[in-house]
Amino acid sequence: MPPSSPPIDPTATRVRAEFKHNSPLIGCRFDPSGRFLFATAQDNTIQRFDLLTGAKVSLLGHQSWVRGLAFLPLRASAVAEVAAAEMFRVASPAVVGTGPAVGSAPRPHPIKMISADYSGRLMWWSAAATIPTPIRTVQSHAGWARAVAVSPDGKLVASCGNDQDVKLWRAMDGSQVRVLEGHTSHVYNVAFHPDGTHLASADLKGVVKDWDLTTGACVRELDAKILHKYDPSFMADIGGARGIAFAPDGRLACCGITNVSNAFAGVGNPAVVVFDWKSGKATSLKPKDAFQGTAWGVDFHPAGYVIAAGGGSGGRIWFWKGEEPTSIHTVTVPANARDLALHPAGDQLAVAGGNGSAIVYALQPTGVK
Amino acid sequence: MTSWSCFVVAVVATLSPPSSARAGESLHARIDGLIAAGYPDYPKQAAPVADDDEFLRRIYLDLNGTIPTADEARAFFADPSPTKRMAVVDQLLDSPGYARRMAQFLDVTLMERRNDSKVPRAAWEEYLRGSVGRNVAYDAFVRELLSADGADPKTRPAAKFFLDRDLEPNLATRDLSRVFLGRNLQCAQCHDHPSVADYKQADYYGILAFLNRSFLFPNAAAPNAVIAEKADGDVNFVSVFDKAKKQAATGPRIPGGNPLDEPTLAKGKEYKTAPAKDVKPVPAYSRRKRLAAAITSADNPAFARTAVNRLWAMMLGRGLVHPVDWDHPGNPPSHPALLDLLAAEFVGHGYDVKWLLRAIALSQTYQRRSEAPAGLTEIPPDRYLVAILKPLPAESLAFAICQATGQTALERTALGAKATEPAVDARLAATVAQFRAKFGGRPGEPDDGTVTTLDQTLFLKNGNLVRGLTLPRIGNLADRLAKLPDSQAADELFLSVLTRRPTDDERKDVVAAVTGGANRPAAFGELVWALVASAEFRFNH
Amino acid sequence: MPLCDYSCGSADHRLSRRAFLGAAGASAVLGRDVFAGPATGELSRAQKRVLVIFLAGGVSQLETWDPKPGTETGGPFAAIPTSVPGTHICELLPLTAKRMHRLALVRSLNSTSDDHGIGEKIMLTGRKPEAGIEYPHIGAVAAKLLGTADQVMPGHIAIFPRGSGSGKQDATFLGAKYASVPVADGRPPADLLRPAGLSEETDRQREELRRKLTDKFAKSRRSAATEAYAESFTQAERVFRRADVFDIAKESLKTAERYGRHDFGRHLLLARRLLESGVSYVKVSHSNYDTHHENFDFHIEQLGEFDRPFAALLDDLSDRGMLDSTLVVVMSEMGRTPKINDRYGRDHWSKAWSVALGGCGIHGGAVVGKTNATGTAVVDREVSAGHLFHTYLQAVGLNSTKNFYPNDRPVPIADPKAEPIAEILV
Repeated sequence: MPPSSPPIDPTATRVRAEFKHNSPLIGCRFDPSGRFLFATAQDNTIQRFDLLTGAKVSLLGHQSWVRGLAFLPLRASAVAEVAAAEMFRVASPAVVGTGPAVGSAPRPHPIKMISADYSGRLMWWSAAATIPTPIRTVQSHAGWARAVAVSPDGKLVASCGNDQDVKLWRAMDGSQVRVLEGHTSHVYNVAFHPDGTHLASADLKGVVKDWDLTTGACVRELDAKILHKYDPSFMADIGGARGIAFAPDGRLACCGITNVSNAFAGVGNPAVVVFDWKSGKATSLKPKDAFQGTAWGVDFHPAGYVIAAGGGSGGRIWFWKGEEPTSIHTVTVPANARDLALHPAGDQLAVAGGNGSAIVYALQPTGVK
Repeated sequence: MTSWSCFVVAVVATLSPPSSARAGESLHARIDGLIAAGYPDYPKQAAPVADDDEFLRRIYLDLNGTIPTADEARAFFADPSPTKRMAVVDQLLDSPGYARRMAQFLDVTLMERRNDSKVPRAAWEEYLRGSVGRNVAYDAFVRELLSADGADPKTRPAAKFFLDRDLEPNLATRDLSRVFLGRNLQCAQCHDHPSVADYKQADYYGILAFLNRSFLFPNAAAPNAVIAEKADGDVNFVSVFDKAKKQAATGPRIPGGNPLDEPTLAKGKEYKTAPAKDVKPVPAYSRRKRLAAAITSADNPAFARTAVNRLWAMMLGRGLVHPVDWDHPGNPPSHPALLDLLAAEFVGHGYDVKWLLRAIALSQTYQRRSEAPAGLTEIPPDRYLVAILKPLPAESLAFAICQATGQTALERTALGAKATEPAVDARLAATVAQFRAKFGGRPGEPDDGTVTTLDQTLFLKNGNLVRGLTLPRIGNLADRLAKLPDSQAADELFLSVLTRRPTDDERKDVVAAVTGGANRPAAFGELVWALVASAEFRFNH
Repeated sequence: MPLCDYSCGSADHRLSRRAFLGAAGASAVLGRDVFAGPATGELSRAQKRVLVIFLAGGVSQLETWDPKPGTETGGPFAAIPTSVPGTHICELLPLTAKRMHRLALVRSLNSTSDDHGIGEKIMLTGRKPEAGIEYPHIGAVAAKLLGTADQVMPGHIAIFPRGSGSGKQDATFLGAKYASVPVADGRPPADLLRPAGLSEETDRQREELRRKLTDKFAKSRRSAATEAYAESFTQAERVFRRADVFDIAKESLKTAERYGRHDFGRHLLLARRLLESGVSYVKVSHSNYDTHHENFDFHIEQLGEFDRPFAALLDDLSDRGMLDSTLVVVMSEMGRTPKINDRYGRDHWSKAWSVALGGCGIHGGAVVGKTNATGTAVVDREVSAGHLFHTYLQAVGLNSTKNFYPNDRPVPIADPKAEPIAEILV
């Protein structure tokens, strides 16, 4: 993340690039250097889209769907290279589609990525390699591994899944450090607190656990239960934190679906629950305009925004500003936005579309910067 | 009773074959003559005419849908008049109970326990009671049913026949032919009936052609939907048996009749109100509006024939054509001349249902005992030698239990000066609804009530509702019985519940059951239950 | 690590998501199979029974019997090997997979209707609906044809998740005697028990008088209707005396645990007790699979509930020697679209889906029919619900080509345009 956050104008949000794949997308993340957008797909692949060149590479190895993606932090020595790439990126014209490379792009910096799939496997990748292959595979969970996160110091990896466990791994070698037991339903998401001492995990029922990483104890529970419903007519549970994010100041956001009246048709409204980390006080954020569906991804923008993306019929990106619980701006996207990624430079974001398109949006009007 | 039997013999002797020469003779006598002619040595073989108690219970249930009170029974038994049966038939036909009972019969006949999705039950029942109460001629009543489009709130209930079938053309066609023409043309939807030469595919589609342009507006799911019609749409059909797949076409036609003459409208003149989005179209020429006249026309003998057959079945427990929707040459009436006679007389008397029921009720055929005479082992049910047992329809069972247990009287007392029959019925409506839910037939199927299910019996045996009615409460039957001397109580119990006096053995059983027990009223409550749960109560006999 | 058959392992599923009727406590106190149901010997060897497990809403064939992993339609789940070499089913059914040799799969069903109501009717009657005639459901047919004159229990029982469903429409012309007795949420039929305040002795006395009156009345008026009415009180008494059959608290804690301590587990355990007590046909509905949204999450949840009790049931029927005389069918009103919609849902689909059946008369391990690589079409041996209906009847030793004669009119028992699936019949 650059030291100063760029000014953005949500109302000026515009398509900067669209990357197409022939299978519906599930999740997406920018790598920490900002060079690539990685998107996972229903064909069990991870797609790497090069923002500079438009090149598309498939990462093959998973035997099931992948939704969790996380990256080790860049080495300090990488900063200069990243800055060079960033200048090149900003100067480049928007790339649309997956056409040939534009100009001569700099070599990417090495990137370590960890992905989590629905057969319970974690895979380690050198994600910037020409054709990345898995370096390491760890069977982490029984059933789905739904999410993966890397600690700020890059030493720990956390994963969670349908076996109701949260697990900690050494980033270096994939060995297991600890199992954090206590959830009583599928664990949907996990995130490290920016200070590296705590971990938050959120489950189907909207129970958020705060784990002390030094002891491995769950020190408290936060309540995001508005993101869960047992639908008595279909006799099934719907809910879970579909997206999770910490702000640098320690606020925690979980997003998902609330007010569900029909689980099996997905009739409900997207919602974001933001916790003040210290007090645990929750605020729920809602879209200004009525919308049926789920918020699949959420992040904090350093300029003081909370941004979420999601969909039901069609897709949306919502922006909240300051303490205001109602969104101040909505962007309509072409398909169900099944994930949201904020670029490390803060000037753009991406959504993973249920129609197979990953769309990168610039958050500033043309000509800024 | 001997004199009655002799009379029958006399009639038989002079009444073969029946002819118009008998026109002066009363219809009930002619009924008996034709029935007697249908079985060798009928007068000797048939059961005698029922005693007063059996007759009274039967006629109350058939014409008023409930049983007589103990007082009514006593008064009738004590009446020495030779015409007292005629008097009670007339009295019942003129009472509000008749409207209620016939409304119930028409409801089940026409709607077959379908759900009330577009015309609420209360409005429908009120409409039927009103029609029966005014003794509207049956053909006029049916014309009203088949013409109403549901748009006018005043006549909307009449449109229930179509509205609560969602005006589904095949369903409506099947039920029109079953209910009004006595023919189940079901199989003829796809091909000429394989075993009934008379049921042609063209007949089925001829009826369907009256309806195929009609639809529910705005849509079939709307509770306030009304019937609308387009100006175009023809009916074509192909027999599934036809390998060549030759397509045939038909316009509106009643089976056995000629196709309707239909106007040809100039292009652009087809509509009074042209179809458009959210607009109910009104065609210049309506096929559906011709249905009512065509079905009830004197040129369509099946209409009156089916009506009298169904009314006969209501009273006698079996149609002359049986099943009542299976009228075709391969399944002839048990007494063809009688069916013809009844149909002709019904038409001749302006489709007067009350008049017809009266004639049937006065016949000895109707009034026979339900007990088989000694020595009669094989009893062909279609010869009417013995009265056929009829399970009480759900509603009659409810009203009869309320009457027997004293609940009806309690409600009447509670209403005081406002105790009209409809007001009393209204107070019993929730109870009746529970019986209807348990004992009513399956939606869309004939409700003959002949099958007993476990849940029905558990409802009678252990359910709160029946228990609450039978156990002693101030003023109800068990409570009243407990205050009487044993022997008198036994009489009152049997008269109130079974419309007869107990036998000596039964009187002893009653005395034994209430003697020595700590709680005399409770003991009577259980006795009331035992009588109510007996087959003698469950069946109209 | 919580108990976990596949991955769900939710504590709620193990304990008391939907209250367990307090049976846990009761059984814990008894701690043994005090009333382990009637001895198997009580059942006539010749008596055949049918159990239908109805996965309401339309189960996904791709997440059950016909997985297509690694294809665009396959979804995220793996296919796992089963006890039948070469046959794979979805990983969501690990315990069932181990018992695959007891089941036959029909993977080529085209049931022709994507509508819940019509699809259910087609699957349960083996025919497409025809205006004007309502065909009886398999349960009523089984009750009529498999029942014995002296049976204590009703022939046709339907266990629903909650107070829904009435038996009134499923016997049609066979008559209400064969209509399902609904058992909502596994509770005994309404009004089964003697009312409070009525002693056994008083009940006996009032019954005696009722019987005496009925006998006297019917003596000279005997008819099928009077006999059925009289008989129904006897049956009510018999079922009342067997009210314990409905009480699964009579099963051991261990048994309850094997079936899974949630509603469907309870209901399937009750089904076993009912079959043991001589009921000809039991249908257990499991709700709900109508997953237009997030099909995969919901199939984890629902099949997680299904797999364990279903496996326990197959084990119990087998251990008790009942599987040879009990046909078990797992069906639904339709399957679900191979295409995954953009809300991770699958929609209604009748063109190419699967049914599993096993036990009496069924060749365990057989697989009939095939869909293409993505499951979008049947490529081999397409069958209709009519074929299945014939197969069910033949499996329990009945001639499905005969007629019923409602009102003396012949109506074929099963669709004359279809025939039994011979490959899966023993």
